[in-house]
Amino acid sequence: MSVINYAQRVIDFKIVYYGPGMAGKTANLQYIHRCLPNGNRGNMISLATGDDRTIYFDFLPVTALTVRGFQTRFQLYTVPGQVQYNATRRLVLRGADGLVFVADSQFERLRENVESLRDLEANLREYESTLDEIPYVLQYNKRDLPNLAPLSYLEFVLNRRAARVPFFEASAIDGKGVFETLNTVSRMALASEFGVGRERRNEAS
Amino acid sequence: MKLRNTVIQEQDAARIHEILSHFLGDSGAVEALLIDRAGQLMAMEGDSQALDAVSISALAAAAYSSTAAMAQLLGEPEFSVLFHEGTKRSIHVSTVDDDAILLAIFDHRTTVGMVRLLAGEATRAIGGVLGEARVRPKPQAEFGVPLNETESRAAWTPPS
Repeated sequence: MSVINYAQRVIDFKIVYYGPGMAGKTANLQYIHRCLPNGNRGNMISLATGDDRTIYFDFLPVTALTVRGFQTRFQLYTVPGQVQYNATRRLVLRGADGLVFVADSQFERLRENVESLRDLEANLREYESTLDEIPYVLQYNKRDLPNLAPLSYLEFVLNRRAARVPFFEASAIDGKGVFETLNTVSRMALASEFGVGRERRNEAS
Repeated sequence: MKLRNTVIQEQDAARIHEILSHFLGDSGAVEALLIDRAGQLMAMEGDSQALDAVSISALAAAAYSSTAAMAQLLGEPEFSVLFHEGTKRSIHVSTVDDDAILLAIFDHRTTVGMVRLLAGEATRAIGGVLGEARVRPKPQAEFGVPLNETESRAAWTPPS
């Protein structure tokens, strides 16, 4: 959960990118790392296997706006998407202030998307939390590929909730939708610290 | 367990600074990092010029969490200490409370036993400070009013 430090005048948030294997979670962080100047980001750390599959997490700290005299900083994490790494996904999820669910838009990956979303909800329950309590957005990635599921269908399958959350079409490999996603989830996390709380969840949908 | 937000006021930071300074002075360790178990750095003391403390915090919290998960598989509630021995510098990590850990970096000028002994004292003292900080309500002056439009603007501009 967020850490507000009056001595340093900083607020730290943790944002976790969740989703099935090969959906593009690491590609999001790599693009952000490539585009932000050194002064606005730290080193990116990737704990990956020899063939570049995430085995524990990727980590990228970025700095954002100063709000009411506090520098805001966001620590971006990805989880390993492969099914067998559930224990490590749960550990990375600990203390998340915001979530991005990165879905693979291809028809043949729909089942993995749904399973990963269920897995996310189950892991949140371990921390006595739910998707209704944490600032949360959806990213429909790989919109540049053929064999795409229509947006309305993805929304029906993955965003069928009492209050729909913001969603973004993306092609993370070339950066489309990456910063829109990050700006929205970070703004939602930030808003949840102030006053009565977060933005309306369906604002961007 | 439900995790709690932490608000470190200036008086908390001063007390933590004092505890960590004494810990470094007495133990001979060169760096001390107080880290939230979610991976966020809360305070640090020592000669930290070349240290990527943000990355070390994220990695140490992850290592500690995975060690705790291994402990549970063995029927232990937790391994309360984690120790990595290097050729020049070593790392000792210990539990502060359910939400925080203390990481100490030390070299040949001291021993793991000394660091471990004094880290125990330091973690108990810091646990008291954080316990008080967590039950204190969030200051309303800065946090009582919702963000306005300017404060809610996009933080980053996508490259064109």
